[in-house]
Amino acid sequence: MDMASNNLDTRTPLISMRNIRKSFGSLHALQGASIEVYPGEIVALVGDNGAGKSTLVKVMAGVHSFDSGDYEIEGKPANIKTPSDANERGIATVYQDLALCNNLDAVQNLFLGRELTGSSWFGKRINRAACEVRAREVLTKMRLGNLSLTRPVGAMSGGQRQNIAIARSILWQPKIVILDEPTAALSHSAAEQVSSLIRSLADQGLGIVVVSHDIHHFVVNATDRIEVMRLGANVASLKSMEVTGEMVVNAMVGGNESVNLAG
Amino acid sequence: MTALMTTLEAPATPKLKRRTFGELLTTDLRALPVLVGLAFLWIFFTYQSEVFLTARNLSNLLLQSTVVGIMALGLMFVLLVKEIDLSLAAINGVTAVLMAKLIVEFGFSPWLAIPLSILLGAAIASFSARWVSFVGVPSFVVTLGLGLALNGIQLLLLPPTARYGLMGTGIEHIAQTYITGLWSWTLVTIGIALYALLIFSNMHRRRQLGLPVALLTSAIMPLLGAALLGAICVSIFNQHNGIPLPVLIFVVLLGLGGYLLKETQFGLSLYAIGNNDEAARRAGIKVPVIRMYAFAIAGGVAAIAGIISASRTLGVGVFSGGGVGGGTLLLESIAAAVIGGVSLFGGRGAIYAALLGALVIGTVQNGLNLMGVENEIRLIVTGVLLIVAVSIDKLIEKFTGQKSF
Ligand SMILES: Nc1ncnc2c1ncn2[C@@H]1O[C@H](COP(=O)(O)OP(=O)(O)OP(=O)(O)O)[C@@H](O)[C@H]1O
Ligand SMILES: [Mg+2]
Repeated sequence: MDMASNNLDTRTPLISMRNIRKSFGSLHALQGASIEVYPGEIVALVGDNGAGKSTLVKVMAGVHSFDSGDYEIEGKPANIKTPSDANERGIATVYQDLALCNNLDAVQNLFLGRELTGSSWFGKRINRAACEVRAREVLTKMRLGNLSLTRPVGAMSGGQRQNIAIARSILWQPKIVILDEPTAALSHSAAEQVSSLIRSLADQGLGIVVVSHDIHHFVVNATDRIEVMRLGANVASLKSMEVTGEMVVNAMVGGNESVNLAG
Repeated sequence: MTALMTTLEAPATPKLKRRTFGELLTTDLRALPVLVGLAFLWIFFTYQSEVFLTARNLSNLLLQSTVVGIMALGLMFVLLVKEIDLSLAAINGVTAVLMAKLIVEFGFSPWLAIPLSILLGAAIASFSARWVSFVGVPSFVVTLGLGLALNGIQLLLLPPTARYGLMGTGIEHIAQTYITGLWSWTLVTIGIALYALLIFSNMHRRRQLGLPVALLTSAIMPLLGAALLGAICVSIFNQHNGIPLPVLIFVVLLGLGGYLLKETQFGLSLYAIGNNDEAARRAGIKVPVIRMYAFAIAGGVAAIAGIISASRTLGVGVFSGGGVGGGTLLLESIAAAVIGGVSLFGGRGAIYAALLGALVIGTVQNGLNLMGVENEIRLIVTGVLLIVAVSIDKLIEKFTGQKSF
């Protein structure tokens, strides 16, 4: 594991963002944030509420534009303007709010915006059967074979909805999966299940970015590297193997650094 | 490994249990309350008036319901994306007046004037959509203002006599054409055949991919139902004059609309945007474009309804499009859609809503007329029915604990 992570840096990162700045009006949400993700690696993005984690992943996913900085995918300028651009470049996102349509069923949510359709002569008729087969395939791979494909997802439990959102992200075989707070609403066992799912994705060579507040369990145990953000910028980069939850929390709230600065 | 699998899957099993009646009421059987209500109204009026259930009166009832039904059908597309278009009645009026002006004053052929006014209706409504998307003003404000402006333009377009007569222009044929005999049966057969083609193509796809097929509920029952309904309607129509052309137009629009909403990517995006436009945007759906098409459809369809009205009244005038402010035409179109089960909060409603809602309103109008009740009462009853319909919906949600989507 350690050997692998040492070798990582000689490869091209899947994603490299440097010095990203982004303001919402007068509010500077990102003030020079950076992140790199290598194949097979799980990077945790941690920080206090409002640190800019969600904003950074939304920039990555093409939801927000950014004001300045460099964004490269596999060594080439990303040039991502919309969420579809990001999808096409192999970046899939599971948003904090899940971004599901409650009135649609699991299959419709999985394929939303990218339905398998017939020719435009018939008004792009959706091939429901084909979608259903693919959906079943992915869900079975995630051990969710029992999930109803025809109930509106608004009628489902938080864990089921989370799983549908994750299933949607891996449906199109992405290179990178971004997950914003994937375990926040989940029971302990459901969170464990998500962790092992994420690890199995990384083992297939995907790069994973996970935003999480679950420092003591999920972040230190289930990730490879931890990027700590504060006030829209990175303040520390830690190896998950080498740190404890307390150390991460200190970096987040700035305990250590203020000591260092004072000293 | 097997042990792990079972522990993982055990909690999920209870969720596979059969759906309760309550859940069905909020999903597949959503039309049931309206159908029951409609049946109630029909039984009531049958007792009140011997004339109600005659072929002649039922034909009239359907004919009377078409304009509101078509308006509701168009409006539905806008309501689905969580917007509203309060200018649809004005579009209905102004496009009809323009069509009449082109024909009467400028000698246009109806074959040119009709498509022009439909296109104009679509263009006006899509203009509202662009305004809503790019400026960010709520659609009810934009379309309220636009509606008033269009009312003004409608008055300006009218001649000093305030009326264009359309007798002898060819437009009157729309309302006066009836399809009878062999032709009417051929049309029903074609309609059912198209429906069957759609159902069997879906079943064929599922079979090929090894998915389960519910032959009885997804093919035989809907097809038998449609065939029965079609046969009953046509025999009633044929006992009178035949299928009125406006009714046929309504049915064709219902078919097209149903196909769009249920089968196509466009239709699905409407529902997605209505429920969660941000999720739709992140899924790569071009929300402003879809929204614009939804408005354009509503505008074009409103123009079609306007042309049919003009043909039925043999002319256009101040009264076209429900008169200034949209009058009862606007209110009844919105009411029809909502009574039929379309949500004003987006993302909910099937195509039959336009038909059922318009039938409820048409039935009240027709039945009370037969009973010799004044117009005032009709308005009161329609208003109360609207409130009752929406309340029943809410109460079902409340008592079954199921949220409708
Ligand atoms: N769309 C927006 N418009 C305006 N301000 C925004 C927007 N999105 C985020 N912000 C602001 O940017 C800052 C960073 O927000 P962000 O959501 O990225 O924080 P976060 O690190 O994800 O926090 P949390 O842990 O609470 O999810 C906050 O001050 C937030 O209010
Ligand atoms: Mg966040």
